Amino acid sequence: MHPLLKAIFSASFAASILRVTTPILFAALGAVVADLSGVVNIALEGMMLISALTGVIASAFTGSAWIGFLAGVAAGIVVGLVLGYFHLKLRTNVILAGIALNLLASQGTVFLLYAAAHDKGVSSSLPSKVMPEIQVPILKDIPVIGAILGKQNVLTYLSLIAVAVIYLFLYKTSFGLRLRVVGENPDAADSVGISVHKVRFIALAISGALAGMGGVHLSMGYVSWFSRNMTSGRGFIALAAKALGRTHPVGAFFASLLFGFTDALSNYMQSLRVPGEFIQMIPYVVTLVVLAVYSGRQLKSGRFSNE
Amino acid sequence: MNKKLIGVMLVAALLVSAMLVGCGPEEPEPQNGEGQESKYKAVLLLAGNLGDMSFLDSANRGMQMIKEELGWEIKVIEMGTDPSNWEPTLTDVSSQDWDLIITGTFNMQTQIEEVAPKFPEKNYVLFDVSVDYEKGDYSNVYSILYRQNEGSYLAGALAAMVTGSDLPRANEQKLIGFLGGMDAPVINDFLVGYIEGAKTVDPEVKVVVSYVESYSDPAKGKEMCLAQYDMGVDIGFNVAGGSGLGQLDAAKERGLYAIGVDSDQAMLFKDSDPEKAELVLTSMLKRVDNSLLRAAKLCQEGKLEFGKAESLGLKEDAVGLAINEFYERNVPEEMRAELEEIAEKVKSGEIQVPSAFELGPDAVKELRDSVAP
Repeated sequence: MHPLLKAIFSASFAASILRVTTPILFAALGAVVADLSGVVNIALEGMMLISALTGVIASAFTGSAWIGFLAGVAAGIVVGLVLGYFHLKLRTNVILAGIALNLLASQGTVFLLYAAAHDKGVSSSLPSKVMPEIQVPILKDIPVIGAILGKQNVLTYLSLIAVAVIYLFLYKTSFGLRLRVVGENPDAADSVGISVHKVRFIALAISGALAGMGGVHLSMGYVSWFSRNMTSGRGFIALAAKALGRTHPVGAFFASLLFGFTDALSNYMQSLRVPGEFIQMIPYVVTLVVLAVYSGRQLKSGRFSNE
Repeated sequence: MNKKLIGVMLVAALLVSAMLVGCGPEEPEPQNGEGQESKYKAVLLLAGNLGDMSFLDSANRGMQMIKEELGWEIKVIEMGTDPSNWEPTLTDVSSQDWDLIITGTFNMQTQIEEVAPKFPEKNYVLFDVSVDYEKGDYSNVYSILYRQNEGSYLAGALAAMVTGSDLPRANEQKLIGFLGGMDAPVINDFLVGYIEGAKTVDPEVKVVVSYVESYSDPAKGKEMCLAQYDMGVDIGFNVAGGSGLGQLDAAKERGLYAIGVDSDQAMLFKDSDPEKAELVLTSMLKRVDNSLLRAAKLCQEGKLEFGKAESLGLKEDAVGLAINEFYERNVPEEMRAELEEIAEKVKSGEIQVPSAFELGPDAVKELRDSVAP
């Protein structure tokens, strides 16, 4: 068999899909939570970037990867609350506030990077830590599955657990119900005594925490340092994954997995002499096709005409 | 009211932090020439910020060399990443008193083409790109191009020697990797040199080529290199800016070799991650610093030929491999001697390294396919 095809049908390729999916999945879950509460969080990209840097700096100065992780998550929460403050308290347009935060993150992280590492490109001079890879007992001994799922970064497992946790939170807890009500009809929620602002603040904080985990995965799991604008649009891809997953945690999981799959495929297929741009296009074409098919089905079932 | 105040302050804080990061050009101090008349003066305009670990940092080093070795008065202006600032800054600086106005990278080509003819009495040096001399009167612009293909030729030769050697981490397969930023002529110029260099050492070597299609996505760069290493590649060359740094993490994870580019990538990790630095055998450098020093020296002697583009290579020390402790420790003596020999042959013109710019895209594709595994 062609060595490349052999590589694609290997367990290490499957493992690579999960790695690629992890940061997108975290951010997509963050997008789902914010969206269901009625706030479009386009600041995910900036949140990830700020958390990625915060994690690196905190872990370098404390010597602990976990403290770095917690600091990164905390940074995500803070950015979420800042967005909430602008949007909910000061009534800024949430899209504009999100764009402002993304721009601030893009250049502000370079500023902080320079302050911490005396370098405007990469944090390689900081002795930052990496989140550990763990082996799952039992699972790692199963053939094939063991090679795929048996040994991954702890954050990859956490992202899979997060799908279940967020699902249970949104659909099986009373707060989750309130959150969805606020998103569906804030006036109705207000009339029965639910504080719309409070719920949305909490939703943005959770959204920030999740995006933060995605950011930390990039700088402390995927690679072992921060480099400027290293999120490279993953926060926006996460928004697409949220839309593709119909704003549902499980849907977002499968959508993220699809993006992860096409991205990993493009990484492996590069050397098959298919032009890079073409392969790069696959995830977006898939999104368009799936969205078209999905809305086509909705049109047929007449759901749009009822609205 | 109080909330409004906080809001205003937050906005102000945002604005100030955005400004601190440097979108606005610095105002050069007025030049009143108090006893400084005899000093040559050069200014460097950077389309971006320092810390790119690459051309801009190297250009900055060149300015320091000009100051230290030639005693010039220098100034470095970081123009930031907002392109709308670049042309006004260039115009401002052009109306001031400078002997040489230096700028570079393809970002500045159109700006120089626009501004230079308006200030015919000023002299410009443009590095890493050339103005289109047929488009107008650019008799005051000296363009420096780098023969990255020559430097990459050495990188390719080294990679082929390593993959065919019995170095501890080299495997049986004669497979080497290349990680490019984009499928663009300037990146392919590195690739062509790399392939040709590998072929002179061992015609049977195969080259796996991947393009990240981004210069700032190290995670994707790492993923692509893991895929290459898993195919049997035991040494790779990254030419992808920030994305390329991902290769070093992949190399560490698989315990295989890497070759850096633009900056000495082993030195980046020397202190924080020595294990990784050991795997970066060398880096292919465009010595913007050397080329600027050379230009300033020639300018001082009145020998700098404005109005044309010059491409500088190994002979002018404008490209080359990074010779550092890791290179000396991890690349065996005889390989280093052989590389030295090859470099001499390129310098003397005995070996002519083909260039992607001369070959054109179709020939590049053909060459790439001819060495595909």
